[in-house]
Amino acid sequence: MNPRQVAVLLGKEFTLGSKGFLFLLAIVGPVALSLVITLVFGSLFAHEPTLGFTDEGASQLAILIEEQTSIDSKRYDNAVALKRAVEEGAVDGGIVITGDFDETVLQQDRIEIPIYIWGESLAKDRAILTATVADLVREVSGREAPINVDVVGVGDMEAIPWSDRLFPMIVLVTVFIAGFMLTGASLLDEKEKKTIDALMVTPTTIGEVFCSKGLTGIIIAVVMGLIILAMNQALGSQPALLVLLLFLGAVMAATVGLILASLLSDVPAFFATMKLTGILLYAPAIVYMFPGIPSWVSRIFPTYYIFEPIVEISQQGGDLSDIMLNMIILIGLDVLFVVLLGVLITRRRQYAV
Amino acid sequence: MNWRSIAAIVQKDATLFFRNRFFAVITVLGLVMGIVVYFIMPSTLEETLELGVYSPSLPPGFEELYEGEIGIQLLAAESEEALRENILEGEYSAGLVLPPDLVEKLSQGEAPDIKVYIASDQVGDMEAIVGVLIAELTQKLGGQSIEVDWQQEVLGRDMAGAQIPLRDRIRSLLVVVLLMAEVFGLASLMSEEAENRTAIALLATPMTVRDLFAAKGIFGTVLAFGQAAFFLAVVRGLDNQPGVILVGLLLGSTLAAAIGFLAASLGKDFLSVAMWGALIMILLSVPGIAVMTPGVVSGWIKVIPSYYLVDTVSQASNFGAGWGNVWQNLLILLGFSAALFAVGILAFRRKLR
Repeated sequence: MNPRQVAVLLGKEFTLGSKGFLFLLAIVGPVALSLVITLVFGSLFAHEPTLGFTDEGASQLAILIEEQTSIDSKRYDNAVALKRAVEEGAVDGGIVITGDFDETVLQQDRIEIPIYIWGESLAKDRAILTATVADLVREVSGREAPINVDVVGVGDMEAIPWSDRLFPMIVLVTVFIAGFMLTGASLLDEKEKKTIDALMVTPTTIGEVFCSKGLTGIIIAVVMGLIILAMNQALGSQPALLVLLLFLGAVMAATVGLILASLLSDVPAFFATMKLTGILLYAPAIVYMFPGIPSWVSRIFPTYYIFEPIVEISQQGGDLSDIMLNMIILIGLDVLFVVLLGVLITRRRQYAV
Repeated sequence: MNWRSIAAIVQKDATLFFRNRFFAVITVLGLVMGIVVYFIMPSTLEETLELGVYSPSLPPGFEELYEGEIGIQLLAAESEEALRENILEGEYSAGLVLPPDLVEKLSQGEAPDIKVYIASDQVGDMEAIVGVLIAELTQKLGGQSIEVDWQQEVLGRDMAGAQIPLRDRIRSLLVVVLLMAEVFGLASLMSEEAENRTAIALLATPMTVRDLFAAKGIFGTVLAFGQAAFFLAVVRGLDNQPGVILVGLLLGSTLAAAIGFLAASLGKDFLSVAMWGALIMILLSVPGIAVMTPGVVSGWIKVIPSYYLVDTVSQASNFGAGWGNVWQNLLILLGFSAALFAVGILAFRRKLR
């Protein structure tokens, strides 16, 4: 294999391929997915109701609402904006804190508070909102009742926020769009357009073509993986180790993509196979979303060994010793897939000169 | 119009479509996945926060505290152990152990000791919420230090006690995804006709350009409509206002076919058509996400044509909206479909030249 030839082909992949839609998808797709997941699932599975408020004076209540953890809060400039936000469902309820609110609370034993309620807000959210504000009003008035509360956790289930549960899926999608899909589709596109046949009459070997295609996917997967980790504030304290893990994951994705592409004849068949088998690629990330499912189920799938060490390093604060075993398995799987690809290339020497 | 020619082209397209592994697979798989996703989503929405309470002697008037309220329910447990077990089984959101002298201590201004059990994976989310609810509860039992009188104004349709489960909210998103997936199929068939010059060959027969576009439009519309209607029938989306929904689906299917023409004229081969189709599909799915998470997106969403389909399906199937409520949506959808059809046909005609 001639490294210079591979470099020339790699340059061509980036200059010509970058105009293609798959290139665009490999770059835009993971970023869009990460944003959508944060946006949609961040609010879909949120537990706390949201209170909107507008403060016409400088009320102590407004400060306490913003500090309160039983609810989320949003401050609005005026009552019109607040009412619109409630109507649109941006908040579950909204109150206007009048300029003389604190004085009224200090002087009176009974206070009337108008509250806008979004029609689709849950009954329990309404109850939590009103109980919270009533509690804070008592705090402003200095008349809260003393209570000693002792909270005891029951069971041994660990709380994992949905944003964390979905993180492995984002990592896998990022690595596989570039490493697997871009690499495989690009090779099949060349097969369909017969440009690979044209290449074979030059001194270029089939191995060099596969190598350049694979490297393109690997480079984009690693770069996009780092961008996604940075977007999710998951670069942690060991970015060099994360780069290595992303590289090993991208190698697996690219070799599997090339293996599949070398077995198929056209792009539609590649996409159809991907649709049917995609669930196998993403299965461990789906299992990870539900802590109730035993974790050994994930370990059956090779892609588990891509995201698990990344999650361990970036989210659990682990180091090399914590991921050593899984990393060795990942390297082993990479070697296995590369050997398999090598065998396939050797058998398909019809492309070679 | 030559209806015999149109029928022949429709028949040919149907045969080619289902002979293509990729389209056959995504059509069937899309439908199956849509139905599976619907049925695995929760069929009910938990509107009530259920708090278990144990006390050796419950305070007088305890049972009546939240009587008639939907948001909070207090359930008496037989023992502290039963309280813990019910929390582990998910019967209660939290469990309170009240001291027998609770009311006495409150009336004397002393702080009672209240033990709170929360499932260990819920402690972070529930601790502050339960804290304010306990404060509210003790105020009700011990006499209010300051009484808050809520003047509630519900904005929009009041759904308290009759909330729409997540699976029914997601139904309109799934319909749009199904419809727009057909953009791929139609666009690719059109693109193939242009690429292989078979469209030019067809036009050398007595068939006119109008006949060709009519045939493609009818095929695309029927294919998309059939799937969407089947899906909604299976997931009980046609139980309310079936006439309104079916007309909405027909217009939405026409829109999908029109966008298929546009995507076909934008791409030069299967890969680029598929990628244009994917980008368009993502864009058109955004209004469906907005229905799932109200308030996340605002008025700008109405510039996306699929909003009017999503809104019609959601309003009619979830809230029983009739012709009088959604006629404007249907009219706008018709306008968008007609305009995009005209633009798509013009663009594709240019491609044929």
